Amino acid sequence: MGIPGSGLAKGLAVTLRTMTRKSHTAQYPDAQPELPPRTRGVIGLFEENCTVCMLCARECPDWCIYIDSHKETVPPAAPGGRERSRNVLDRFAIDFALCMYCGICIEVCPFDALFWSPEFEYAEEDIRDLTHERDKLREWMWTVPAPPALDPRAEEPKELAAARKAADKLAAAEAAQAAEAAQAQNGRGSEGDEDGNGNRTGNGAAS
Amino acid sequence: MNDVLDVALRLLALLLAFLVLPLVVGQTEHKVMAHMQGRLGPMYAGGFHGWAQLVADGVKFAQKEDVVPAGADRRIFQLAPAVALLPYLLVLVAIPIGPAEGAVGQVLDAGIFFVLAVMGVGVLGSLMAGWASANKFSLLGGLRTAAQLMAYELPMLLTAASVAMAAGTVSLPGILDAFEWWWVPWQIVGGVVFFTAGLAELQRPPFDAPIADSEIIFGAYTEYTGLRFALFLLAEYAGIVVLCGLTTVLFLGGWHGPFADGLGWLWTLLKTAVLAFVVIWLRVSYPRLREDQLQRFAWTCLIPLSLAQIALTGVVKVVIS
Amino acid sequence: MSPAVHLAATGHGFLSPTGVEIAFLLVGIATFGAAVVTVTTRQLVHAALWLVVALGGLAVEYLLLTAEFIAWVQVLIYVGSVVVLLLFGLMLTRAPIGRSPDADSGNRPAALAVAVAAAGVLVWVVVDAFRTTWIELDKGVQGSTAVSGESLFRHWVLPFEALSVLLLAALVGAIVLSRRHGHDSGRGAGHGKEKR
Repeated sequence: MGIPGSGLAKGLAVTLRTMTRKSHTAQYPDAQPELPPRTRGVIGLFEENCTVCMLCARECPDWCIYIDSHKETVPPAAPGGRERSRNVLDRFAIDFALCMYCGICIEVCPFDALFWSPEFEYAEEDIRDLTHERDKLREWMWTVPAPPALDPRAEEPKELAAARKAADKLAAAEAAQAAEAAQAQNGRGSEGDEDGNGNRTGNGAAS
Repeated sequence: MNDVLDVALRLLALLLAFLVLPLVVGQTEHKVMAHMQGRLGPMYAGGFHGWAQLVADGVKFAQKEDVVPAGADRRIFQLAPAVALLPYLLVLVAIPIGPAEGAVGQVLDAGIFFVLAVMGVGVLGSLMAGWASANKFSLLGGLRTAAQLMAYELPMLLTAASVAMAAGTVSLPGILDAFEWWWVPWQIVGGVVFFTAGLAELQRPPFDAPIADSEIIFGAYTEYTGLRFALFLLAEYAGIVVLCGLTTVLFLGGWHGPFADGLGWLWTLLKTAVLAFVVIWLRVSYPRLREDQLQRFAWTCLIPLSLAQIALTGVVKVVIS
Repeated sequence: MSPAVHLAATGHGFLSPTGVEIAFLLVGIATFGAAVVTVTTRQLVHAALWLVVALGGLAVEYLLLTAEFIAWVQVLIYVGSVVVLLLFGLMLTRAPIGRSPDADSGNRPAALAVAVAAAGVLVWVVVDAFRTTWIELDKGVQGSTAVSGESLFRHWVLPFEALSVLLLAALVGAIVLSRRHGHDSGRGAGHGKEKR
């Protein structure tokens, strides 16, 4: 290409230019890395949400989730009611020596009890110590970042849309009721509306 | 008694330079190479930007076990690092650093020949190591070293002869005394050839086929460990210092420069440092030449160029005299 | 070479040698020893390395005679190039580590005779040429580059040129030989690989 030796000069120029620029080295132990929000570091357990449905353990391709539980009976909520049985979590452990970070357990959890955490400094000296128990998993829950904000002008998430729909319906119903009540008041006064409102609000939020 | 003290002081200064300058070059190589590759290089040893990395390396080498392979020729194997290293120490004696009378270890009448001869002896260390290791990779490295030396010694000698012709003397301080600024453009081709051939003789990249780590592990030094290996490495960096100092003296005017009377030594060191930087720069920029390319480059490119330089020197010399 | 020194020293005081003379003699003995080991050792590469010692010893002798230029050229050409070439050749053979059982060819007596004859001729020539010529080592340098150059290119320029023609002939011969081999086996083989 062109002048003989221009390729050699180009090579020298590239290295010299690189030298004048900032280096890319991550000075890790001194400076923590800036990880992207969806980093798959480790799996945290929000055990308050766990119902011991065992879906995660069953779906895990590596069979690396260990769950022990027992049943407890809960006294009836209201006098005269039936006793209910409830699953209580005894052990929840993930063997990170086996885990391949596929994230299927997090996907399948119907109760949002498992989360990705960007935490990555959990190396151990013994492979057996890589089986982390529920207290450790619960601790990692604190490192789970808040879900990233939506992109600007993104479509509304389904949950929000559903909640808004319910809220709108409720508001409409309330408005209708208020109108009705006003009508009734106009006619002859009213009583006991607030209780009914409270119940309906609760139903709406749960759905 | 005064003479003895003088000699002792000179030798001490030489030894100090011999121990410090190669380490400075090595550390510069660590850092410059790292930044040219977008890295930081050593950052921990010694605290400030890893300045003590090579000291730490030295301590590490000293602690390692000194292994001699069972099949090796013991005595030659153990002697080789010294043969590789000592010539460079000797060469430093002859390199003048400043204009003053005492700014050179020892004024030698045939300085150029002394320097080139002794540098050539250093390669014997690599050959001894290559043969005595009883290892096929070492042997291949030794063979390549020998072939390379034979190919590149000639252009080095021819270009040095060109400078000697220009100056009318073969003593290094004599050449510097005769130096004029226009020698630099006059001898520039010779300077480039000398520097390139010197790089090849030191087996520095891109001429490092004799120690090509991806082909023959580490060439002649494959079997070496610990302190002896460190000595070979030290020889390489001492070689860089010597080559750059020599190129400075022969082709770049050594201590000549503004305020040469007081700061001559600084000019020498500065020019040497710039050349050492170029050595590192070339290492980072270019891939290794293949063995046949190495030979072809020497015989079909460098030798004709150096002969042309000698012819040019002769013509100019006749014209101006 | 030591007989010449003895002969020369007789004129100067044979029993009161100077330090340089003692050093010359000692280095000479060491050089001779190294040369003897070179031809008697059974290990090929060791022989080449002892040759380095012998040639280096010769260079030191030149230095002691204040012939600095000759000394460094000796190191440059013989130690730096010839021995390297020798080692290169040895590495291409199957030089074993340890003794080579077939290092001797059975011509020992003949070789010894030739060596002694050659040494005798050399010693005789040197002694006859210089007789009692005395080199004053203290009176300045007599083998400096300038002196050697002047005598070489003024008085001895014809032998010098004859030698260079001889070397040129050897060079051309080497090229012709390597070319002919290349011609038989294919055109590309000898291409650009002339030996120095």
